[in-house]
Amino acid sequence: MSKKKILLIEPDNIIGGVVSSGLRESGYIITHCRTAQSAINAADKENYDLVICELLLVSHSGIEFLYEFRSYKDWQDVPVMIYSSVPASEFGSKSKGLTSELSIGAYLYKPNTSLEQLIKNVDSLLAVPKHENS
Amino acid sequence: MISLLKPESKITQQLLLSIAEQMKLPLVQIARQTELAELGINPDLNQIRSIAENGLRLLDGYSLGLQLSNQGMYELAPEAVSIASILYDAIQQLDSFARLYNVELKLNISGKYGPVLAHRQGLQSAIVGLASAFIEALPSHEEERSFLQLATHRCRYGIVAGVYANIPTLSSETLRQGRRLYGLSRQPLVGVSHSSGSGIFVADAIFKAMNLKMHVSRHQNLYGLGVVLHPSPQLSLV
Repeated sequence: MSKKKILLIEPDNIIGGVVSSGLRESGYIITHCRTAQSAINAADKENYDLVICELLLVSHSGIEFLYEFRSYKDWQDVPVMIYSSVPASEFGSKSKGLTSELSIGAYLYKPNTSLEQLIKNVDSLLAVPKHENS
Repeated sequence: MISLLKPESKITQQLLLSIAEQMKLPLVQIARQTELAELGINPDLNQIRSIAENGLRLLDGYSLGLQLSNQGMYELAPEAVSIASILYDAIQQLDSFARLYNVELKLNISGKYGPVLAHRQGLQSAIVGLASAFIEALPSHEEERSFLQLATHRCRYGIVAGVYANIPTLSSETLRQGRRLYGLSRQPLVGVSHSSGSGIFVADAIFKAMNLKMHVSRHQNLYGLGVVLHPSPQLSLV
């Protein structure tokens, strides 16, 4: 079975490096982008099985990226996970609307999510049985 | 509740909120690094140490800003200090942190400047705080090569000491907006940094306590933040 490809949009070098290492160790192929623009460019060149996105980016927010991403037919079914320093509760009552409008598979608050939990969520979104991808 | 506070307390509280937001970043970085061991990857202990040291420097800067603002100007006792030595010391302090972020540090002390009048510890702490915030922000712009210049140059009002990088989105308006939003927004300098950039606001508070004002300035086609310092009268004796 071929390895699944993940597009990680994370502006912080260190967190991006650690998350990439963890996911690579779990058998995924990772492309790490730091800006919304470079993520759009990367998605245009390669087909990804999953997008993991931080909302706080320089210049264009993760939400802007997701609206742009979802506006293309080819990318409407790609699962998306938010892994952010912004808690979902901050969106209040708009949270559910936002996640359904942008088809967000999981919303993880960075400070409360361990690497193990992140990987489990990735496995589940990609419906990978344990160890199959490694 | 906040509106009942004195204006100074409100600013201090905003700064504290900004730092609380900022400190989540190094703590998350350290927490996730240590979890790598469970996946069979050795965490980089030097990296963890640099992250922690930088977080501690930010807290020290905040405390210093508060101490300085509580002291009167007479107690602050500005002394004759060499900007070159302050920038050099700042680069030494930031070296390992900059390497973590793949940011090249450059020192640019063009021209021979005599001593300036400043509170040495305050000036150094503010420059380090500014530079740390830039180091952390630069890779998120995804330029091919990230570098940060710690520089001094002359302007018509005195001698400028500051930190400069290739960030065209940094303008006086951006800084003005950031000053309004820090502590209230997670990303007060949205075109500059992905984080709360509190190193910049800590530096701003330290400069303010030293009766100096931080400005956006340009130097050698780079954009940066700096402060104008006045030459020490000792200059005429040298």
